[in-house]
Amino acid sequence: MGMLQPTQDAELINRKASKKGKTDKDLLKRNKIIESEPDTEKREMETDSKRPTQNPTELNLQPVKFQCQISFQFDLASLICLVVGIATRFYNLTQPHSIVFDELHYGKYVSLYMKRTFFFDSQPPLGKQLIALAAYIGGYTGDFKFVAIGAAYPENFPLFAVRFIPALCGALLPVSVYYLLLQLGLKQLTAATAAFLILFDNALLTQSRFILMEPMLLLFSVFGLYCLLKFIRCRESPYTFAWFAWLIVGLFSLTAAVCIKFVGLCSLLLGFYVVWRDMWSLVANKNLSIWSLVSQALVRAVVLFAVPVALYLSLFHVHLSILNKAGPHDSVMTSAFQASLEGGLASITKGQPLQIAHGSQITLRHSHGRTCWMHSHAAVYPVRYPDKRGSSHQQQVTCYSFKDVNNWWIVKRPSRSDLAVSRPIDAIKDGDIIQLVHGMTSRALNSHDVAAPVSPQNQEVSCYIDYNISMPAQNLWRVDIINKDQVGDVWHTIESMVRLVHVNTSQALKFSGKQLPDWGFNQHEIVTDRVVIQDDTVWNVEEHRYTKSDDQKERERDMVHAEMIPTRPTTLSFWDKIVELHMKMLFSSSDTLQDHMYSSQPLDWPLLSRGIAYWVNTTTNAQVHLIGNVAIWYSGTIAIFSYCVLLVWYLCRMRRKIYDISADEWARFDLVLEIALFGYGINMLPYFCVERTLFLHHYLPALVFKIVLLAAFTEHALTVARSCRWSNLIYWPLQILFASWLLMILYVFVQFAPLSYGCSSFTVQQLLSLRWRDSWDFIMQRSALDVDMLL
Amino acid sequence: MSELKERTKPAAKKNSKEWWFAFGVIVVATLLTRLYKIAEPEHVCWDETHFGKMGSWYIKRTFFFDVHPPLGKMLIGLSGYLTGYDGQFPFEKPGDVYENVNYLGMRLFCTLLGAATVPFAFVTVWELTESLEASFLASTLFLLDVGLITLNQYILLDPILLFFVMGSVLGMAKVGSQTYKAFSAQWYFWLVWTGVMLAGSISVKFVGLFVVLLVGLHTASQLWNILGDTSQPLTHVLKHFVARALCLILLPILLYVCFFYVHLKVLNHTGNGDGFYSSAFQSQLIGNSLHNASMPREVSYGAVVSLKNHRTGGGYLHSHWHLYPEGVGAHQQQITAYTHKDENNKWAIKSIAEIEPEDKDEVQILRHGQYVRLEHLVTKRNLHSHKEPAPMTRKHLQVTGYGENGTGDANDVWVVHIDGGVKNQPVLTVTSKFRLIHHLQKCVLTTSGKQLPKWGFEQQEVSCNPNFRDKNALWNVEDNFSPKLPNVTVQVYAPSFWERFLESHAVMLQGNAGLKPKEGEVTSKPWQWPINYKGQFFSGNQYRIYLLGNPVVWWSNLGFLALFCSVYFFQLLRHQRSPEVRSHEHKKLAAGVWLLVGWALHYFPFWIMGRVLYFHHYFPALMFNSMLSGVIISYILEVVKELLAEKVAFVFRHCLLGLFASSLAYSFYLFAPLAYGMTGASGNDPNSTMQSVRWLESWEF
Repeated sequence: MGMLQPTQDAELINRKASKKGKTDKDLLKRNKIIESEPDTEKREMETDSKRPTQNPTELNLQPVKFQCQISFQFDLASLICLVVGIATRFYNLTQPHSIVFDELHYGKYVSLYMKRTFFFDSQPPLGKQLIALAAYIGGYTGDFKFVAIGAAYPENFPLFAVRFIPALCGALLPVSVYYLLLQLGLKQLTAATAAFLILFDNALLTQSRFILMEPMLLLFSVFGLYCLLKFIRCRESPYTFAWFAWLIVGLFSLTAAVCIKFVGLCSLLLGFYVVWRDMWSLVANKNLSIWSLVSQALVRAVVLFAVPVALYLSLFHVHLSILNKAGPHDSVMTSAFQASLEGGLASITKGQPLQIAHGSQITLRHSHGRTCWMHSHAAVYPVRYPDKRGSSHQQQVTCYSFKDVNNWWIVKRPSRSDLAVSRPIDAIKDGDIIQLVHGMTSRALNSHDVAAPVSPQNQEVSCYIDYNISMPAQNLWRVDIINKDQVGDVWHTIESMVRLVHVNTSQALKFSGKQLPDWGFNQHEIVTDRVVIQDDTVWNVEEHRYTKSDDQKERERDMVHAEMIPTRPTTLSFWDKIVELHMKMLFSSSDTLQDHMYSSQPLDWPLLSRGIAYWVNTTTNAQVHLIGNVAIWYSGTIAIFSYCVLLVWYLCRMRRKIYDISADEWARFDLVLEIALFGYGINMLPYFCVERTLFLHHYLPALVFKIVLLAAFTEHALTVARSCRWSNLIYWPLQILFASWLLMILYVFVQFAPLSYGCSSFTVQQLLSLRWRDSWDFIMQRSALDVDMLL
Repeated sequence: MSELKERTKPAAKKNSKEWWFAFGVIVVATLLTRLYKIAEPEHVCWDETHFGKMGSWYIKRTFFFDVHPPLGKMLIGLSGYLTGYDGQFPFEKPGDVYENVNYLGMRLFCTLLGAATVPFAFVTVWELTESLEASFLASTLFLLDVGLITLNQYILLDPILLFFVMGSVLGMAKVGSQTYKAFSAQWYFWLVWTGVMLAGSISVKFVGLFVVLLVGLHTASQLWNILGDTSQPLTHVLKHFVARALCLILLPILLYVCFFYVHLKVLNHTGNGDGFYSSAFQSQLIGNSLHNASMPREVSYGAVVSLKNHRTGGGYLHSHWHLYPEGVGAHQQQITAYTHKDENNKWAIKSIAEIEPEDKDEVQILRHGQYVRLEHLVTKRNLHSHKEPAPMTRKHLQVTGYGENGTGDANDVWVVHIDGGVKNQPVLTVTSKFRLIHHLQKCVLTTSGKQLPKWGFEQQEVSCNPNFRDKNALWNVEDNFSPKLPNVTVQVYAPSFWERFLESHAVMLQGNAGLKPKEGEVTSKPWQWPINYKGQFFSGNQYRIYLLGNPVVWWSNLGFLALFCSVYFFQLLRHQRSPEVRSHEHKKLAAGVWLLVGWALHYFPFWIMGRVLYFHHYFPALMFNSMLSGVIISYILEVVKELLAEKVAFVFRHCLLGLFASSLAYSFYLFAPLAYGMTGASGNDPNSTMQSVRWLESWEF
């Protein structure tokens, strides 16, 4: 295979042409045509055909004027693309004036941006940010609730502004593709053909008219690739401004694509491939010293790493700094994350069940003074203390100053043995007798007439272990709610201040304030004290959840995974946040697998077996349905297949030292292969490996590359036909074929355009007549049909 | 290891004494390590419970369903049959003691096939590199890996698979090295050998496909080279192509089909796998209720039928006295799909006329487009649907049993719609595929394949789908009791071998796709495998076997893999810089590339597989990696010899080989108990003898 080195720039072609003087008259003619009528493809092609027959002696008549005409001509062709693009994309943009398909999601996100409320989405933020920006400029305040597809927007909703960015990107896409093809060294006619195909593909049009991400994704991908192709054109003069500019802008654009949807990564990888393929070909250049090669490789590597990472991170920085308020959509994040949002802490605290009941899992916080939580762990009190006193040798109970899984206790009524909370809940009231079971060890909180380890004047508190030594369990506690006048006599999370009074001895559970020695891991001592009324005997519930299962293993697993509420609003660093966000983004998407009426499989896409119903007006049958231009899609699939067959054919022939096409033509063929076919493959193949619900619009990035390949293939076919032995015979028919093919595409586009614009009503008959394939499910009134029509 | 010294002389000729000596050492050592303690433990280990059971079923000729193709299990059955095992042992669960069971023959068979991989590796590397040193090193890595020993010693598919995979690679290498004597008998022998081995690999497990890909790529590259030789005419290339297509494509396909033919011929009695297959398929199994059953050809009004769903593995339309719970649609009787045969699968076909036709009336055949009610025979309720969401698939409508004693309402009316049928076409027993379309709601009776929760006894959901094109909406009549119509034998619907072949594959594919990890289940992840992160228990209790690679082998393998990649990249870079430098075409590097491709093909596809994965899936890849290590070591030694002074190189070489050999041997000594059985305290116990070799926390022996 040849190098990734476009042999000719379109400008170059023409400059060369002007030197060789092959085409001036012919080009002049073409200019006139373009000036006179916009749809020039057919005529252009005819004039093209005359090119080789031109007399080479008529050269260099007016070189200066000629140059300026060329640039004018360029602008005109792309200008036409732009104008038609804007016209098709912006026509009646605010119709239908109701929520269409995924506008439901993206619109909701835009509202949340306006309100600065945090939300979680498994895709990066750039696309939503751009749309939100447009909405902000359009004066949207975020008050509209996106409830359901089909709900009408209010009159004052700036729908045009919100749909503006996708439509604009959709309008710019044909122009970008046009320039990309010129950059690939293809003819202007070919570039215009590709732009024509992009313009008149119904799926690309439909997708560009609503609040959807794909138009931006496609534009940034194509533009990025264009820049990188420009960049490798500067290979002879590294480190110049242009070299850096094209490289950085290209990477910037490709990274922007990644920041709109992660699938943009495919295009970014293609960009990396372009850059390194070029580097690889530089290695063969003996004029460059090893050190200059190494340094250039290093510079490329640094830029290739730095630009994407910097842009990606800064966009997330913007995202996180805008969305600084808590809202209903942040419950997927950890408590620490939620508490870092404005109002987040209050909302998680509120999110807990209020009434403590039989089976509640709680953490008990020492309410006044030192912050610590009642704790126990699988370690026992030492048999003898240094001062010769003995202990009960039972499991330690301490007060621990950190949130820990061993802080969980389960509230239990002495009379019941099950632990799962069942409805109606059995709430604990002031004066009730309860037991407290330690969550991880399932031992009950106990106290007895044994001196406490550090405060011998008080009783020891332990988790009871039955040693069978006539020391019975004394594990009943009475709940005294101190502030029941304010909060009522049912034990409430957080608000109720309680004392736990040991039933057998009438002493209260107390934080003694003293630290245990090494055997107690320097945690604080908990005792019971005869003096009931004092601040250190006051406790309150902080974390609270209901036990779901009676199975001990499962319960423990639940507790290990349960999160503790932060003690105060947290300030997470940007890094902590972004790491957490990405863990959630990468691992949450897998469980959203569900059936959707209009989902499809990658194999359905090349042959367009299914569309997606986006919106329907149930009375008039007017509808928006995502469906491609069949003529383009099928010819594209044929082109890809033929391209591969041709590739194998050429390779085999070249292996046998037979060269069917010129070196130039082969280089172009190869470059198209490496950009368009690789681009198609890399945007298509990953979908065969993912396990999620897929839709037709996932195919659009691959479609753009397919169209590039299709256009390039037509040029290749025409070039080969013209240079082959029977060119007189087949070239003209081929051209006519080509022209009628373009007309057919236009015809199909017009047929299906009402499904993109959603403005015209349909009768069932009309819809049925558009159902060119059985599997296309347009929405229609069922009652009017009989069974066979639906099958 | 003392022989190693003699083997270090380069360029040893094949068939020289040295070659045979080295080969002999490997073979003897292989037999010693593999056959040692082969009879222990004397109970069912790990997956022996499956494959031993399936072997027994072949001997008893009862039909079963498994996600793997049949060859491996047939060979196990055959070996058991030949060595006198009668197929009566139930292989119920791991740990069942073999009492008076002739299991040794099957184990020996599997072990010997597994053992063959070591000499295969020796010959393969020899053919690829012609370096005795590389061959010896590579096969030593095979020899001393305790993981391979463990995996090879039991009645499993893996030893058989590894045998065929290595056999294919051997054939590939042989064919490659004999290109100069193409079309000789010997060349053809190896081509056919490769084809047979490929067929074996893919007929044991579908992962054999990866080695097919490898051989395919290798063959393509050979043809590419032949094509590039313009001194030969194109017909020459064509001859090469045709020979390969015959031996490597056609022959394997033929063999694969043959294996299935034998499989379907041998298993001709009904067994526990019947329910997964269609009615027509079942009618071929002796003892199945459909076998030689006689029932009416046509379905008539008044007949009592059971309806089987047409999705692969679909159940029978079923109902029972239980209602949908509160909050799940209407509080009416449940309708489900149930995969087992049961009285509750019976439905009576009634016309929509309120008055029952009297006996004297002519029998009315059910035809395409006609209206029916279906009455559940046991509970006397009608099949009914209405505008309530289905329990699992909320977009579908709920299907219930409704009415008292067969009297319901207008929502009980269904239209029979034969797939591709025309008006008045009669519905035939078993053969007609039809939809039941709800007349009023305009939806079609489907089973979504989703399991209902406990209240629905974990049977499958049945719902009414507004999308008529649902693939799971097709049903057929399986049992048909109609006293008024003459019975014919169902034999007439016997499916051909090809139909059964295709259906087996559809069921297998669905079974494979269904092997999804359950919620919360901890599964082995591909990244854990090459680093030997976690093993697998083969046998617990008193006599413990733990499948774990020899960490020295595995970890050094990874190092050598990285080394090879960097060396090869460096040589490519040199070639790119100055095209006249062709050091990347060194024989050993070229061999290494194929081994690397083999490793990648056998490893990376697992990353994108959604099914449940196990540690032992890595072993085919490991074999390629081990061979690659042998090759790259000998390459490095060769390069070092050229670069350094002779003395230094000599010392370097001997130090390196000595270090390598001794660390391998010592690690084998340390870890051998994992394969040959550990007794005494468990590895977690600090007193255990194995505690000292528990290098990673994650090893749980």
